[in-house]
Amino acid sequence: MMPSEKTQGAFKKNTSGKRLSTMIMNDYLDLHRRASEGAFVVWIAIIVPAELFGGFENVVYAVPESHAALCAGKGTGPVLCEKAEGFGYSTDLCSYARIDIGTAFDGGRDSPTFGLPRPDLLISNTNNCSLLVKWFDVYHRAWGVPHLALDIPFCYENQKERDFRYIMDQFGTLISTIEEMSGQRFDLDRARESVQLSSEAFKEWKRFLSFAAHRPSGITAFDSFVQMAPILTSRGTRRLVDHYRLLADETAEQVKNGIFPVPDERYRLLWDNIAPWHQLRKMSGRLAGLGANITSASYTYCIGALEGEYDPYEFDGNDPLAWLARLQNFSVCPHGLNLRGKAMNEVIGRNAIDGVVFASNRSCKVYSLMQMDQMRYIREELGIPCVMIDVDHADVRKYSEETAFTRLEALLEMIGA
Amino acid sequence: MQSFPDSLADLKSQGHTLIGCFPLYPPLELLHSFGLSPVVLWGLRQDITHLTRSDRHLQPYACGVARSLSEFVLSRGRELLDAIFMYNACDTLRNLPEILESSLDRHGASIPLFRLHIPAVPLSRPFASDYLNERIRDLIGELEKFTGRSFSAQTFLNSTELYNRQRRLSRDLERLAETGRIRFADCSDILLSAGRMSLDDHISILERTVREFNGRAPGHQGVRIMLSGILPPPVALLDAIERTGLTVVANDIAALRRSYDYLPAASADPGAYYRDLYRNHYPCTTILPSADSRLETIMQTVRESGVQGFIFVGEKFCEYEYFEIPAVKRMIEAEGVRTLELEIGMDDALNLDAYQTRIEAFAEMLCHETRGSRRDNDAV
Ligand code: SF4
Ligand code: SF4
Repeated sequence: MMPSEKTQGAFKKNTSGKRLSTMIMNDYLDLHRRASEGAFVVWIAIIVPAELFGGFENVVYAVPESHAALCAGKGTGPVLCEKAEGFGYSTDLCSYARIDIGTAFDGGRDSPTFGLPRPDLLISNTNNCSLLVKWFDVYHRAWGVPHLALDIPFCYENQKERDFRYIMDQFGTLISTIEEMSGQRFDLDRARESVQLSSEAFKEWKRFLSFAAHRPSGITAFDSFVQMAPILTSRGTRRLVDHYRLLADETAEQVKNGIFPVPDERYRLLWDNIAPWHQLRKMSGRLAGLGANITSASYTYCIGALEGEYDPYEFDGNDPLAWLARLQNFSVCPHGLNLRGKAMNEVIGRNAIDGVVFASNRSCKVYSLMQMDQMRYIREELGIPCVMIDVDHADVRKYSEETAFTRLEALLEMIGA
Repeated sequence: MQSFPDSLADLKSQGHTLIGCFPLYPPLELLHSFGLSPVVLWGLRQDITHLTRSDRHLQPYACGVARSLSEFVLSRGRELLDAIFMYNACDTLRNLPEILESSLDRHGASIPLFRLHIPAVPLSRPFASDYLNERIRDLIGELEKFTGRSFSAQTFLNSTELYNRQRRLSRDLERLAETGRIRFADCSDILLSAGRMSLDDHISILERTVREFNGRAPGHQGVRIMLSGILPPPVALLDAIERTGLTVVANDIAALRRSYDYLPAASADPGAYYRDLYRNHYPCTTILPSADSRLETIMQTVRESGVQGFIFVGEKFCEYEYFEIPAVKRMIEAEGVRTLELEIGMDDALNLDAYQTRIEAFAEMLCHETRGSRRDNDAV
């Protein structure tokens, strides 16, 4: 068989996938072990700059959103959501929150990681959504654990100096709170090292994503969904840099050898919203059968970049806190319409995107309640066909595969026409 | 009563410069001090029955407040509003400005938009109050440009006094409802009408009503209940509540008590004034740092008002409210207070039969229990 004719199956058998599973498993084991040995445990929202904890001797962090995504991916989303609903939490609440509340209030049962170790401090962040503050308040009330919220102003335009200063001040509060509570001293040099490593990891991450520009694409967005997990469990570590370097190298090698995830790729698509965690395999497989590849996703291309940008924001070696503050807006949710459009436009050009799939996600209103206008912009201003499908990122009960695929197939027809 | 758009058309014809404010707690005094008439765009559901424009921009899982607000701004905004103001009250609202702006622009109907970020961290932290100060200063600069007027400390002080007068009267009116001198449905209607008339007119109506009903004897008291939510339930449900023998003696409604319960000290300094107002505001699910005090405040009100039943008036898809309901429910049920959860969605306003039945059943249970406990007491 010629390399270019290699199958999707051959593509999947790379070592990064196996290394990833081991890494995530070890990260969770390590988290539980260190917590049980007395480390200071913080629960954080995804955007909280975890590199700061690298500035402490013995602080470990857990990310409930990431844990919820893992549960959804492993198929325990619905059972955990139902538990939260049984505790009185509405089915209209974000499914990450429901999964996590279901786990936390049932002693970690049905979680592939046996839940998360009890926190000493909760740190939420308003910039992805301020609901995270409400969500963490649930634990704060139930367990009496202190809760500190970081307030990051929404970006309708690039971060302003006043917002930057405001964020820096909050980092100061965060550091002194941990110092006081844990009795540990914050070491700026250690934090600088973590930041340096994160910056390197983001560069490698973007190198990995850059293979989406190849025709056929060297990756699928589903690969990026799976591979983003250690950013949330190993941020600011050497192993994260090594992992992404190897991942990018292996992908380069595969592309060189003509091994592609969708070898007969006819449609190159972009995904807008959080990953459909319960559908990764199914959706990518079924799309591949139609010659379609979702090569890029706003959810993963935003990582490491400033608002509205694509390229990584590199650390200059100076003030690690300043780099973290400037990068507080990296995810899509706190971006206004113009910034979202700017970044998407860039990726559509770079990766020769034929069509955009807007995944309207009632569980994540912040991501979704701009999509109708963004879709209009992409369709009318850029002339790119688009479709909107309904997907709940973590609650499979709110997803209909056939309805989604009817629309996806219509999109492919539109592109083909 | 006149519809919301008609009321605004009247105000405009009287020469008011209207600034449509996104809910919940915009800095009304500052806007007013620049000669603007702020109207808060909530409670529009009964007037906005079709969402033709808004549905082109927002998915149906946005809350009814956001959808009806968007519909109003897109369909009548250009004609009735001179400017729009928004702040980071909630995630849904923070997503709206550019959606509305770009749509209005496309139709050649742009409206100036002002934005403010109110810190979602405790204002007791000096940097947070400095940040609020800076944002307010910037807003003042923008308002100066827009209105062509300079900021006047004296005018601002006057505005703060007027709004405090309105708050005081609103509390007085609410107390009249608590004692059954005025129906809660009427009280709520008068309080909500603040959003559709000038401040002076609203103050006059409040003064008149408070004077008139103050002289009345306390009315019949049914089983004492409290309401909680973003907006009061539709009038038909308030009627059902009263008809079935329940009396609303307290509320934790954002458009009512949460809006006017705290009286900040009148001040000529906007920074100091808003630091005080937002720091000490009556707790609300959308004022994130007030989370701890919210439960205490509700509990205290439940106890002080001798509430026997508690109705959550959930605004469908308002996650702020829904995250807190289980904790509040557990807490007040532990006090022996019965609870009922209603969920009002955009389409429900026209079809309230099912809710009325649930209210009737709730009232029946409460009345039965009250009669039972009275009998027990008599026996003792
Ligand atoms: S609502 Fe969206 S941004 Fe917020 S926690 Fe849920 S998934 Fe994340
Ligand atoms: S009802 Fe809730 S979600 Fe809707 S605008 Fe008000 S606070 Fe926001």
